[in-house]
Amino acid sequence: MSERKQSADWLRGKAAPSMVLVRRMTALGLLGTGAAIGQAFCVAGVLDSALGHPSRWSTAALLAGFALLAVFRAACGVLGDRMGFAAGAAARRRLRTEALGGLLAAGPALLRERHSGELVATVIDRIEALEGFFTRWLPAARLALLAPALVTVSVLLVDPVGGLMLAGAGLLVPAGMAAAGMGAAAASRQQFAAMARLQARFLDRIRGIGTIVLHGGAEAEARGLGLAADELRRRTMRVLRVAFLSSTVLDLAMALALVTLTLRFAARLASGQGDPGVALFVLLLVPEFFAPLRVFSASYQDRIQALGAAEALSALPAPAPDEPPREVRNVAARGVAVAFEDVRLTWDAARGPALDGVSFRVKAGETLVLAGPSGAGKSSVIEILLGFVQPGGGRVTLNGADLASLVPRALSRLTAWVGQTPMLFATSIRENIRLARPEATDAEVADAVRLARLDGFLASLPDGLDTAIGEAGFGLSGGQAQRVAIARAFLKDAPLLLLDEPTAHLDPATESEVMDSLRRLAIGRTVILASHSAAAHAFAGNGFAVRRVDLRDGQVVNARGVA
Amino acid sequence: MKDLARILGLWRGRAAWLVLGAAISLASLAAGVALATVSGTVVAAALLGGAVSASLWLRVLGPVRVALRYAERLATHDATFRALADLRVWFFRGLAARAAGGLGARRSGDVLARLVGDVEALDGLYLRILLPVAGAVLLLPVLLVALWPLGADLAIGVALLFVAGAFLMPAWARRLAQGGGTRVAEAGSALRVAALDAVSGIREVRAFGLEGRMLAAVQAREAALFSAQQRQSGGLAWAGAASLLCGQAALVFLLWRVSAVAGVVGITALFLASAAFEAVSGLSRAGWLAGQAQAAAARVIGAAAAPPGEIVQQAAAMSLPPSSALRFQGVRFRWQDDRPWVFDGLTLDVPQGSRVALLGPSGSGKSTLAALALRIVSPASGCVTLGGVDVAQLAAADLRTRIGMLNQTTHLFSDTIRANLLLGDPRADAARLWAALDAARVGDMVRALPDGLDAWVGEAGAGFSGGEGRRLALARALLSPATILILDEPCAGLDAETERGFLSTLNDLDTTGAGGARTIILIAHRLTGVERLDRVWRLSGGHAVAAAA
Repeated sequence: MSERKQSADWLRGKAAPSMVLVRRMTALGLLGTGAAIGQAFCVAGVLDSALGHPSRWSTAALLAGFALLAVFRAACGVLGDRMGFAAGAAARRRLRTEALGGLLAAGPALLRERHSGELVATVIDRIEALEGFFTRWLPAARLALLAPALVTVSVLLVDPVGGLMLAGAGLLVPAGMAAAGMGAAAASRQQFAAMARLQARFLDRIRGIGTIVLHGGAEAEARGLGLAADELRRRTMRVLRVAFLSSTVLDLAMALALVTLTLRFAARLASGQGDPGVALFVLLLVPEFFAPLRVFSASYQDRIQALGAAEALSALPAPAPDEPPREVRNVAARGVAVAFEDVRLTWDAARGPALDGVSFRVKAGETLVLAGPSGAGKSSVIEILLGFVQPGGGRVTLNGADLASLVPRALSRLTAWVGQTPMLFATSIRENIRLARPEATDAEVADAVRLARLDGFLASLPDGLDTAIGEAGFGLSGGQAQRVAIARAFLKDAPLLLLDEPTAHLDPATESEVMDSLRRLAIGRTVILASHSAAAHAFAGNGFAVRRVDLRDGQVVNARGVA
Repeated sequence: MKDLARILGLWRGRAAWLVLGAAISLASLAAGVALATVSGTVVAAALLGGAVSASLWLRVLGPVRVALRYAERLATHDATFRALADLRVWFFRGLAARAAGGLGARRSGDVLARLVGDVEALDGLYLRILLPVAGAVLLLPVLLVALWPLGADLAIGVALLFVAGAFLMPAWARRLAQGGGTRVAEAGSALRVAALDAVSGIREVRAFGLEGRMLAAVQAREAALFSAQQRQSGGLAWAGAASLLCGQAALVFLLWRVSAVAGVVGITALFLASAAFEAVSGLSRAGWLAGQAQAAAARVIGAAAAPPGEIVQQAAAMSLPPSSALRFQGVRFRWQDDRPWVFDGLTLDVPQGSRVALLGPSGSGKSTLAALALRIVSPASGCVTLGGVDVAQLAAADLRTRIGMLNQTTHLFSDTIRANLLLGDPRADAARLWAALDAARVGDMVRALPDGLDAWVGEAGAGFSGGEGRRLALARALLSPATILILDEPCAGLDAETERGFLSTLNDLDTTGAGGARTIILIAHRLTGVERLDRVWRLSGGHAVAAAA
């Protein structure tokens, strides 16, 4: 229950900037109800005068008034729908920017705990699911109280007893809803959850259909799905029998109001009392009194859906607070020296420290090989230098300046990076390379392509550099993708080159070619290469001045001058 | 429309329930309109000093309407659930038949998710589209008959307005949904791709300082989606307004006529028309939904109802041979006629009980080899034999009991560990489950879970690390009666340390399965050095070349 309250609070907080539009939509809704009251007045007036009761207004004027109010109502409807869409879109835009900004600010460390597909589903689908909350639920929740109140007041003015009867029937609705079993809300929440479970199971089985077929379980699973759906139907119907009582209370209240008011007016009119115009006016308004309550009840599921989304969204990392403007340290652009001094880092306390007092130095223009088995801490060193994670202790300096004093942008200018499997974005190869330096000219991109030895492969593609890759695009092999990453690094032309097992997923032939390109890339830069020793030897094979640091269990076990 | 009719055809078995629901729904609508109409009659009769006999009707209709409305909700929802269950099972069966033909296997998770969304879009077909339309069809003649005494011109005029509001506007909304729906769907998937790029490329984003650009790219796609949605929502709002105005125009017409000669019939007609137009006010939304459902139905049928893949089961399948020796003999294969040969005379012997590795760069056809063995595809020439029998002569289901497969798309279901394992062998007892878990070296991990075998495996294996997930899948494969286990890049996506751990587990597997010695075929682009193998082949140029073991 407290979790639900938290989600509700979270939603309320996020809805605050939308409240101006919600208030306008509510006002429009009230204007629509006002117009309906006016129309009821016109109809009652026309009938009244047709029955021979002289009226202050001519029939033509009343008919014209009715028609004008009809147009006005239609306009209110269109305007309200537009505002609703605008409110929903603005809220979705706001929430999505905030959520995605939070994810990007949390950085790569986030993917250690959460799956990217799940995060994207939250940022896309869950936020889309919030639309109804802003476009329908928020105004409906207000109008459910205000619009019937407006109708009641207008009836009270002409027929106090009738007004009280209407209000009394209206009050049955919340009372009845509360009395209907555990409450309609709980029932409809359960139904929603049960449907969601069945949908999730169905999607899961469809996703794994290949696995099911290969295990020969398709027929059993089809029967299982049928049984699960049937079982769910039975359970859901049990819940719905209660849940529908709350809608029935609404029907009951409306029928009660209509029948009692009609009988009252019939009795009074038959005995010569009462004003026929008033009777017609009040009866015509009964549907108007209950319409907002129906809308409210129909949009209740928008609220439930929004609460579910709020729970998922509030579990995302909060966007980074605006950083205080820090002095941008200027580290000499050419020739970066790196020093680790007693650096400590722990990813997960249960698994012990990843780096446990690591110290080493790399002079400007030097190449350092970080060797050691998997899990020794090689990648952690690279990730600290990339700013993906802050060390838990010790100091990392670039040309003597503490890494912590550099703003991310300054750090990113100094470093180029080639990891195990580069990410290729869903755009052209050209744009994939250019992202390393967006202001680069086409000639500079072409140079980088040539230096990374990508030109031969590009010549075989239909659109060359402009071939679309990534999701739904052309697929590149591991070696080709790695060459794109090397071209990025050439284009970026940064003084510090970080290589994190760049050939770990390549076959031996491709590995030696890629190593060749990397050696060219290394010329004139400070390089830190994390790799298993065979690859390190390949790198050193060219007579490079290479220093080597062996890591084991997060500690430096030896440091040699030349490998 | 043909596709929607086809979906309806699937529900023939539920016709009784659907018709019952529709009958109650129409009765409930009739009671509602009658209630409003009779209340008008009663007041009019009182005003004009007529008989008040109708007030008895009023007392009856009130409770009847309330009861029918409740019954309607129950009956129509029950019928919907039944119909939906049928639709889901039909869709699953159709997709499974195609997956066996190899087509479903190549579909990405995202496409499948969209298809499932399409199946769900058909949820509203009965309740939100068919029933409201049926109601409107019922009301039209009622309106004509009730208004006829007030003048044929009036009756026909109001009926025409009713047709415009209840049928033409919804039809327009339906066309709107069909045209714009595609644009919304395309803009939606572009947005998803942009967000997926930003999140899965978060390392590049951070390393190259691309946060601003990525956010801007997502916002641009989002703006495109919103503008597509806005057109839809704007169009729908106009359709709704036009529909409302049709009703209002009819009321003006009716009022004008009644103002000349007021009578019980006129006032009654006014209340009736008002209730009738009110009842169809939601139809433009129904039309819009119908447009979406139509597109969804076309996709769902395209995915699940088309004939299965190329492989046609031979009339008389041979029974499984006792031996599990696998042999590829002069196999030529290409995926399409205009693509190069993947295998050009491949010959390969995998004796039963051996441990072999097939290496090769991506694109060399390693995974195709598994597809050939499992008869997901057939060779253009040459043959694949199991125990000396051409696999083309074996029933696909039999073949798959002999050959098990584990690759990176092997799915862990969001169910209990037990249910996931039982897919390997539905009759396995707890002792066998634990033995398989121990062989895959996840037994201790599962024992440490509070619920043990009944612990829940989250969506697509969430809750377990990548390595643990693969080991659970391995345990499931070990439970299956398969004597040949093909591991196709089983460590893709795992880090190097986890990969070594998993591969060394394979070394210690007991190779004496239930059906004799178990063959292990490891398909990879390279070896890590921890594998213990009898033979290693390298695939190149469409042939297998022996490499050092």
